[in-house]
Amino acid sequence: MGDRILLVEDDPQLGAQIAEHLRGAGFEPTWWREGRRLTPEGMPEVSLVVLDLMLPGTYGLDMLKALRTFSEVPVLILSARNDTLDKVRALKLGADDYMTKPFWPEELIERVRARLRRPSLQKADAVVELGPLRVDLQAHEVSLHGQPVELTRVEFALLAALARRPREAVTRQWLVEHVLDPEREGTERTLDVHVSRLRRKLGPQHGVETVWGVGYRLVPGDGT
Amino acid sequence: MKLRLRLALTVVAVTVPVVAGLSLAQRSLRLRSQEEVLEASTLAQMQAGERERCEAAPESWTVRRGPPPREPSRPPGGFEGGGSAPDSEPPSENGPGGPSGQRPRPDMGPPPDFGPGRSGRPPPAFAHFPYDDELVSRNPSAPVISEDVRQAVRSGESAVARRSTREGRAVLDVLLRMPWEGGPCAYVLARRVEGPGAPVEGIPPPEVLLVPLLAVVAVVVAVGPVVRRVRQLTGEVRASAVSRYQQPVSVRGNDEVAELARAFQEARAEIQSQLSQQEAREQALRDFLANTMHDVMTPLTVLQGHLSSMQQRTGRGEAPEPTVLASAMGEAHYIASLVHNLAAAARLEAGAPQVQRAPVDLNAVIARVIGRHQPIARQRRISLESGVPEAPVWVSGDVTLIEQAVSNVVFNGIHHGREDGHVAVVLESPRQGRFHLRVIDDGPGIPEEERSRLLERSFRGNAARTRGLEGQGLGLHITHHVAQVHGWTLSLLPSEYGGLEVGLEGEVTGG
Repeated sequence: MGDRILLVEDDPQLGAQIAEHLRGAGFEPTWWREGRRLTPEGMPEVSLVVLDLMLPGTYGLDMLKALRTFSEVPVLILSARNDTLDKVRALKLGADDYMTKPFWPEELIERVRARLRRPSLQKADAVVELGPLRVDLQAHEVSLHGQPVELTRVEFALLAALARRPREAVTRQWLVEHVLDPEREGTERTLDVHVSRLRRKLGPQHGVETVWGVGYRLVPGDGT
Repeated sequence: MKLRLRLALTVVAVTVPVVAGLSLAQRSLRLRSQEEVLEASTLAQMQAGERERCEAAPESWTVRRGPPPREPSRPPGGFEGGGSAPDSEPPSENGPGGPSGQRPRPDMGPPPDFGPGRSGRPPPAFAHFPYDDELVSRNPSAPVISEDVRQAVRSGESAVARRSTREGRAVLDVLLRMPWEGGPCAYVLARRVEGPGAPVEGIPPPEVLLVPLLAVVAVVVAVGPVVRRVRQLTGEVRASAVSRYQQPVSVRGNDEVAELARAFQEARAEIQSQLSQQEAREQALRDFLANTMHDVMTPLTVLQGHLSSMQQRTGRGEAPEPTVLASAMGEAHYIASLVHNLAAAARLEAGAPQVQRAPVDLNAVIARVIGRHQPIARQRRISLESGVPEAPVWVSGDVTLIEQAVSNVVFNGIHHGREDGHVAVVLESPRQGRFHLRVIDDGPGIPEEERSRLLERSFRGNAARTRGLEGQGLGLHITHHVAQVHGWTLSLLPSEYGGLEVGLEGEVTGG
């Protein structure tokens, strides 16, 4: 059973589409077709709220304001008006994200997922586990499938830098500046050499991806 | 109130009190000189032999007619030296016992102070009455001296004047102490009685009343040309307004009216320049809307065509062609991007007040832009990636415009990219206080001369909207404009992968 999501959208077609896509992505949407006065009692138990700003009856921002008096549930705002003031106000009132119409359903699903994932990402873990790879950032230990892997100081610094932001691309320039020894050769080519050595040591399931034009990224090496 | 009427009233308001004051002063002077003349002539006559005659027959004495004494200071101040019967005002024949109550004849009397020649009024009449030291007259018709006059005389005054009105005629009595003591003629009461029809005291003569009237006429006549010029200027200003301030007004002379005309000319120039600016803006907007219709309608028509062909295929039981589907999605995506750009362009054209400044997290902006374009990039098999610093990069600006600026560059990269190509967005803070955002692709790139042309300042409006480089124009134009508004620099360079590298650089804020 996926996360429950409250969808507040007055347009019947768009509401139905969004609800269907959310359901297709494994979520459990509750669809309100009009704005309501939100109270702690009337609020369903949900993990996230998708809120349209232009609603008959109640202005979406008023709902958000009311919601924030008693709940910290993440809110994703939908707006047809690509209006800066609306966005600034929504963020000030405690919205977590907003999307401007039109948007692709996939885009919405991505954003919902990202928002639901966020809290776990924000933990500053001492140990990062990605697929078979385990990186202990404090003990400076790396293991793959439970087998310890010996890395040089630079190789570990490189892996740790990527592991601190799993699934996110880290730019080559940042890695050059923060991982390589500034006293010695500090070029992007050197970085590439260290990366290829690291990959060799970690084996085929290394999970260190090259991101075109950006740099490198650590993903679960077994594809999970 | 009209100018002329106002001026005329002002003149009246000023001249009437002045004339009244002058008339009063003149009257009091005249009265005073009457007293002096009466006093002096009586004294002179008494000393010239009338004393003897008076003392000889005080009960019936009247002054003999003599040469008229002249008033010392005023031309009309002639004095009738002719005697008059006691008891009656008109002067009569010389000698005592002349008929009393007789009207003076013009040929008989000397010209009085307002002689008949001037005003046509009869001359005044004179009478004299002797009194002894006790102020008792032997002449039975002599008036009784009132108590206040007695006191005045006793207190040492040599002459006491009193005015009264008798039968509607002004009477001047002057009681004189003679330069001798004793006798029945120690005092002489000289009486002057104005002729009938003499002007009522206190009302200025008609010629004086003419002064305010003449002044009003003079002012009205003098103001005439000024009023004419003001009217002409009014007419010209109205005509100018009707001609949308095309028509100038004439500036003649160097006075206040000319100054007013000059001021209007200046205001007209200012209004004209603002009007022409506004017209230019409106024209730009009209062109913009007309081109927008074309720009939106064309992809919408393509989209409708795709949907129609898909419907026909599914109606025949066939699966829709993936290329048609992809193209339909691409068109819809293009329309959305175009409409956002038009909204951004409208706000940018409206000027700085429409740009809302607030802290903007560039990392979040990039995440949203990637999210917006990822579905289309995936469909075109173009890899769309981003790399941002771990900590949010905050800038101050308009989040909608900034997002659109980044989105346009990414859109262009995907739109012009090859299949299996790449687009990457890289955000870095290489130096303290600055950010550097790059959008890199491995597409066809843009030749150098084209790149510099794209960034020319004058390259705006409709020229930017033509489908040069297949619609690259408008999006990049807006990105350029947004960068300018935020004080950022936009650069177009060949990327190291053979495509284009679009750079945005600017200041970060504390966040």
